[in-house]
Amino acid sequence: MPMQEAAIQTPAAPRRALRPAFEAPFISAPESARTVFLVTLAAACGPLAAGLIFFGYRAAVVAAVCVVSCAAIERLYYRVTRTPALLGRTHAYLTGLLLALTLPPFVPWYIAVIASAFAIIVGKAIFGGVGHFVWQPALVGRLAVAVMFPVTMNPADWPLLGGRHLLTGDINRVRTIEDYRSWRRAAAPGGADGFRLSPPRAILAKLTRPPEGAAGQPLPPFSSLAEPRVPQPGRAGERPAVGAATPWWEKALDGLFGVEPGWSKRRLEPFPGSSPAALRAPPPDRLPPINELLIGARPGGIGETCAVVIVVAGLYLVYRNYVRWQLPVAFIAAAWCVAAVAPIKLAGPNGTIETVYVPLLIEGFDVGFTYVNYQILSGEMLLAAVFLATEMTSRPVTTGGQVLFGTGCGVLAMIMQLYLNVPIPSYMAVVAMNTLTPAIDSLWRPRPFGRRHFERLRGVRP
Amino acid sequence: MDLPIITRRRYGSFKGGIELPDDKDQTLAVPIHRCRSPGRLRVPLSPCGGAAAKPLASRGQQVAAGERIAAAEDDSAVDVFAPLAGTVGGLTAVTVAGRYGLASSPAIELTELSEPRPIAPAEEVFDWRSAGPETLRSLLAAGGLATYRESIEPLAALIARARGSRCGVLIANVMEDQPYVTADHRLLAEQGRDVVRGLALLARAIGAARVFLVADQRRTEAYRGCVQLAQQLGIEQVALSHKYPTGADAILVNILTKREMPPGGSTMQVGAAVVGAATCFAAYRQVACGQPPTGRVVTVSGDRLSGAGNFFVPFGMGCVELAGQAEPPLLHGGPMTGSRCGDDVVVGPATNAVLAIGAGAPPAGPCIRCAWCTDHCPARLNVSAMNDAFELSQVDRAERLGAMACVECGVCSYVCPARLPLTQRMKRLKHAIRALLPIGGT
Repeated sequence: MPMQEAAIQTPAAPRRALRPAFEAPFISAPESARTVFLVTLAAACGPLAAGLIFFGYRAAVVAAVCVVSCAAIERLYYRVTRTPALLGRTHAYLTGLLLALTLPPFVPWYIAVIASAFAIIVGKAIFGGVGHFVWQPALVGRLAVAVMFPVTMNPADWPLLGGRHLLTGDINRVRTIEDYRSWRRAAAPGGADGFRLSPPRAILAKLTRPPEGAAGQPLPPFSSLAEPRVPQPGRAGERPAVGAATPWWEKALDGLFGVEPGWSKRRLEPFPGSSPAALRAPPPDRLPPINELLIGARPGGIGETCAVVIVVAGLYLVYRNYVRWQLPVAFIAAAWCVAAVAPIKLAGPNGTIETVYVPLLIEGFDVGFTYVNYQILSGEMLLAAVFLATEMTSRPVTTGGQVLFGTGCGVLAMIMQLYLNVPIPSYMAVVAMNTLTPAIDSLWRPRPFGRRHFERLRGVRP
Repeated sequence: MDLPIITRRRYGSFKGGIELPDDKDQTLAVPIHRCRSPGRLRVPLSPCGGAAAKPLASRGQQVAAGERIAAAEDDSAVDVFAPLAGTVGGLTAVTVAGRYGLASSPAIELTELSEPRPIAPAEEVFDWRSAGPETLRSLLAAGGLATYRESIEPLAALIARARGSRCGVLIANVMEDQPYVTADHRLLAEQGRDVVRGLALLARAIGAARVFLVADQRRTEAYRGCVQLAQQLGIEQVALSHKYPTGADAILVNILTKREMPPGGSTMQVGAAVVGAATCFAAYRQVACGQPPTGRVVTVSGDRLSGAGNFFVPFGMGCVELAGQAEPPLLHGGPMTGSRCGDDVVVGPATNAVLAIGAGAPPAGPCIRCAWCTDHCPARLNVSAMNDAFELSQVDRAERLGAMACVECGVCSYVCPARLPLTQRMKRLKHAIRALLPIGGT
């Protein structure tokens, strides 16, 4: 009887009760795994907010569907298999949000649910949950739906809201317009909330992989990249000629920021090789100005487009020590270098197609610089580098290993983007390198304190 | 006239480590005080964890303070002196911090004690400056001195090892980089001249050519009093960053001499011996003033404690009695490397702090491979791979990965967001490796 009373009077243990510590250290840093996931979740809300602005409320619907279904599926899985859920639902929320960032804004709800199911079950749960999976779970889900719904997930034209319908517009009420030049200049056609456009990646692919039989058709020349504005015919002669003394970096910066002719100190001369016919090419075949790629006014996945927000969120994660800066920097730098030197095909004058070996230098550094930046910013690469490749469990542990990992990701992603016709090259590269993570971890070992350099190479130790 | 403070030489740092919260405000400026009167003392007979000393006093005998009550019969034991005057009550058993953490030891019980006294200025009765190394060594060996540090051993054994490996460098480690602990800091601030003399004395006994006094760069103002004397005695004074674990012996020796201790070895193998401020102080008082070691300065601090401070505590006083009203659990030693203090733990030469801080830990989760343990490890170990090796019982793999290089500083457990007991697991792995490897292996 006294035992029963004691049992009744004992208060229920709180959910996160402290266990008594018996061995040193007796103090611990304040951040727990849950904090890590929550802060990453908060940082991932930045790209989501950008997506909300440019793709309207449906982006929030997709994100909500992903987050809720990830949490529900995880709970269901642990209920059915009767295994204890690890670390609660925080990681499921994070996975759902990252998955939503990679999905296009127009996906129907069932695709989001299927992607969540693959992410949670195939990507995470069957490996044993948090801390045990091999591939970044959100990417597993994204890859699965990319394979299962190739047409829905990768249409020829992608939607984008017009400037007057931001945040509130419906991403499914969009229309193709003929004279789209840049997002800032264009107005959504009457009755629609936005435009239907070729994604910049497709335009770049048309530029660097001209289709067979393209001879005779007016293709955009390579140098049109450095001149984002379509010049008015007949005004070219009025421009003051840019002398050979113009430094390349000024031209490159003008090209990078898409300087308005009126704002520029000098106006840009058409580059050699750009024929008037090419300058009058149909607007849908022209790339948007690169500053619109930076702020995110381009078609793409919900969280993929806004480079500025992704970089700021990444800097915050670096500041919190959740991401080592070496990994995303190695990723982007490797992709940049590959894009700078990888041979591409270009449409030359008179409808010929020629192979260009070092695109960075072939028409001057400024044109090449702009071209490489387009390659980096036109797809999902930044999101992959900052949020997906840096997932803690599926990246190597040591800093050197992370540099190897990031370099491999960048090289693979850019090679796939340039030469293979795949919809999501950066995500596929990250998943491929995730597979190699254990190998990188055992390859790259820092020298322990007190051991000699390169002991494994000397054969002293295995 | 403004005395020069300890100069800050650029010695560099090490990769990894972490800045811990300081938490020393409770006791940092409080002078060393005499401790409260103990009801009884249980003076441990093997404070160094080796063989026990043979009791000389019998039950009921009156002993004076400083009287020898047990004699060492072995190199691993030290003589034991009565810390206070009292009556011998008999033999008992206590727990005291030995070479490998808290261990059981026989003890002599003393009751009807005299009042404990504070540290008093002492006159030099022996001219140690003109004494030869042999004389100093024999005096030190006769005194029952231990190294007043965590890896405790008889001071005579330390000197013998240092001479055997021809140590040219002697380092007095007053970094005290763990939170809450200020015992060495107060000792150096108040009795700095005696500490510095003791260090010079030990250097002469060991035959070290270079002598360092290493202190935390934030605290050097407090040590003005001993600066000139240290310069006269040829001691290099170094102020280092307070990044934890700068005060770990292997790391400190690496910073000062650029030599790396071999994994699982001792700093003596790279020619450097490390002592603490309390060691130097006790050595000086023993050799020059003829005062046998009867107590040490202990920090009593913690959030759950009202009467925090530094006290000169006689050996054998119970830690619970010393902490007074604080509820258990108590910690013995610093919060990063100390251990949980049971009821029968008494103050020994290795006790530098008795803390009443929250000794709870949140439940452990799975490793999420955040790599913080690896980033902060001062020995550059891939701790998450070690954790895998531990979970899979792959002791040989852990050995290949360099587990023996671990300095057991506790940083990996401290930063782990999954709250895994990584330091504990590393200790287990090292223990298993030592058991598996042939004698003499690395």
